[in-house]
Amino acid sequence: MNFEKVIFGFFIVLSLTLNVGFFLGEYDNAAHHSVFELFAVVVVNLIATGLKLGDRSQIGAILLATSLVADFELIAAALRWTFAVHIAGTGVTPDVMASIIALAGGALVANIISVVILVSETLMSRL
Amino acid sequence: MNSSQDISRVTFIVMREMRAPLMAILIVYALAILGMVFIPGPELNGEVQYLSIFHAFYFMTYTATTTGFGEIPFVFSDAQRLWAIVCLYVSVVTWFYALGSIVRLFQNRYFLRAVEEWRFAKNVNRIAGPFYIVCGFGDTGSVLVRGMNEAGLRVIVIDQSEDRIQALKLRNYKTAVPGLCANASIPRYLLEAGVRSERCQAVVCITNNEEANLKISAIVRLLNPQTRIITMSKVDDFEETLSTLGGEVHIVDPFKTFARVLNASINNTAFYALNNWLVGDKGATLDSYIQPPLGGWIICGYGRMGLEANRVLTKNGIKTAVIDPHSRRKEEEIDTYVIGHVNAKTLSRAGIHEAVGLLAADADDGHNLGTLLNARCLNKNLFTIVRQNSHENEVAFSEANADMIMQPTLVTARKILLLLIAPLLKPFFRYLLAKKAGREEILKNLLVLLREKIGNQKPCLVTIDFNSEKSSAVIQALDEGEEVLLGHIISDPRNRDVELDLVPFVIKSCGKEIVLPAKDYKILEGDQLLFCGTSTSKYLLKSSINSEYTLYYLRTGQYKPMGYFMQWYERRFSKA
Repeated sequence: MNFEKVIFGFFIVLSLTLNVGFFLGEYDNAAHHSVFELFAVVVVNLIATGLKLGDRSQIGAILLATSLVADFELIAAALRWTFAVHIAGTGVTPDVMASIIALAGGALVANIISVVILVSETLMSRL
Repeated sequence: MNSSQDISRVTFIVMREMRAPLMAILIVYALAILGMVFIPGPELNGEVQYLSIFHAFYFMTYTATTTGFGEIPFVFSDAQRLWAIVCLYVSVVTWFYALGSIVRLFQNRYFLRAVEEWRFAKNVNRIAGPFYIVCGFGDTGSVLVRGMNEAGLRVIVIDQSEDRIQALKLRNYKTAVPGLCANASIPRYLLEAGVRSERCQAVVCITNNEEANLKISAIVRLLNPQTRIITMSKVDDFEETLSTLGGEVHIVDPFKTFARVLNASINNTAFYALNNWLVGDKGATLDSYIQPPLGGWIICGYGRMGLEANRVLTKNGIKTAVIDPHSRRKEEEIDTYVIGHVNAKTLSRAGIHEAVGLLAADADDGHNLGTLLNARCLNKNLFTIVRQNSHENEVAFSEANADMIMQPTLVTARKILLLLIAPLLKPFFRYLLAKKAGREEILKNLLVLLREKIGNQKPCLVTIDFNSEKSSAVIQALDEGEEVLLGHIISDPRNRDVELDLVPFVIKSCGKEIVLPAKDYKILEGDQLLFCGTSTSKYLLKSSINSEYTLYYLRTGQYKPMGYFMQWYERRFSKA
């Protein structure tokens, strides 16, 4: 058993599952999406990205790329939330929520790709 | 440089051929436009309207091409209409003239030829890595190119026959194989095929013309002193010339190769089985031992093959009888020489009833099959070897049920393929065949090992170069001062306690060949390894010598930390 793979797999799968949790619900209903969930997704995703740094293999490069895409979209979603609540002061209206969920949905796809790559790589090396 | 010359040649031809039609169109347009501009149009609000140059050009564009949108931007005056009639007839005719010139140019054989050569040179230039030039795409060439392509080598083909090049383009190769229909003994075509390039690894001359092969070899040697030359030759005089060309020249003589195989099958059946299995002979297994019987042999057809076979047979103390329509050459040792065509009478005179073996070695397939049937009628227990000249007769020969089929084209193709993909096989065979104590035991053990590892799967002969390009992880480990043993890289990356299904044959290190190397052999940079294994083991080994993480696992049994975090964690906590 490879200890690094355990940690690695844990964070990647955790970020995917948290992302799904945040994404579920009516897409423009703020009551269905918690800001703390978004916070957790962003943090776990950043940790997962950090773990991927330094891997010189091809698969490592693709995993890092997908992870960076997820980070990028989740941070954009968080900024959108912050802007709406604190700067524009409009609060989380349905159209703001819709655009946040759209970004989180994109990040979800990137996270799914990460997990698929991780699983298929593991299966391939233990053919 | 070569390809840009061709481009300029093609563009030059287009320019020259299109000069007159283009000039004609230009002049007709200019005059027509000028006319339309200066001829007064209709009066509108008391002012005479004129066409602008832009509008006149627009009008000509749709008129000359027979589109005819009408009178734009205003209804024309009669004077303009008169001029429009003139313009229409003249410009339409000029257009057809120009179009006809283009069509004629594209139908011109020589122009098409120039375009084809230009495309070929472009495709050759596009090949980034090392490549091989094969001159001649007959039976031998197609088998060889197929084999090289499957082994991942880039091939360029030159053949004189248009049909064969067309056939080449329709084959489903893994990577593109550029082909040019040309006489390869003309230097220009060899240059277009990239013979001067340092990426040109070898030129293989296997046209069906001996003299052409010799000429191509000489030209290649002059154009590129570095590259390897592999030539098929069946004539002794040519072989002497070829061997003095200088540089690395391999001469492949199908009949001499066959003689060697025949000799091995008489003296060393295990080796014969191994050889046939490695080259992928149809139906060959490691257990198929074929032994030609000792006793009287009849050779039908005393050409090059008959001659070589006779030498081998007499050397092994076998009495031979020859049937051939030509009169006897004095110098050879032959028991009975019957002059005439092969039939029941001549066969009887050659002693068919007492003979144990028959070799049908004529250059004509029909004769050989006829001989085989004829002889079987007279003596049912004959051991038969038959020569198959053309690949087309494959079905007939496999139905004929001969004990050995000798196909010169196939023998040549396989021999060349092995020279290219497994150059270390030659010293390996030399080692196995050396008349020294214990060698037969080694061969027997090797067969047991191969049967156990590969069994009924197709054997792959693979050559691995230990350099930074082909096995980056190994070189990296060596640079870090680590030891990489042969036993490491041939273990299974899925579980290092198990070995991959392969048998290392030879390692070439610092000019020395180590046959059947031990597992604790320390790999050095620049070594070359030849192994025989299953295709799965080939892929696994190639991936583990290129992945530093897999190689680390194979060497130590530990997992190398991949990310910075784990590397820091290992440093921080493992050592403490």
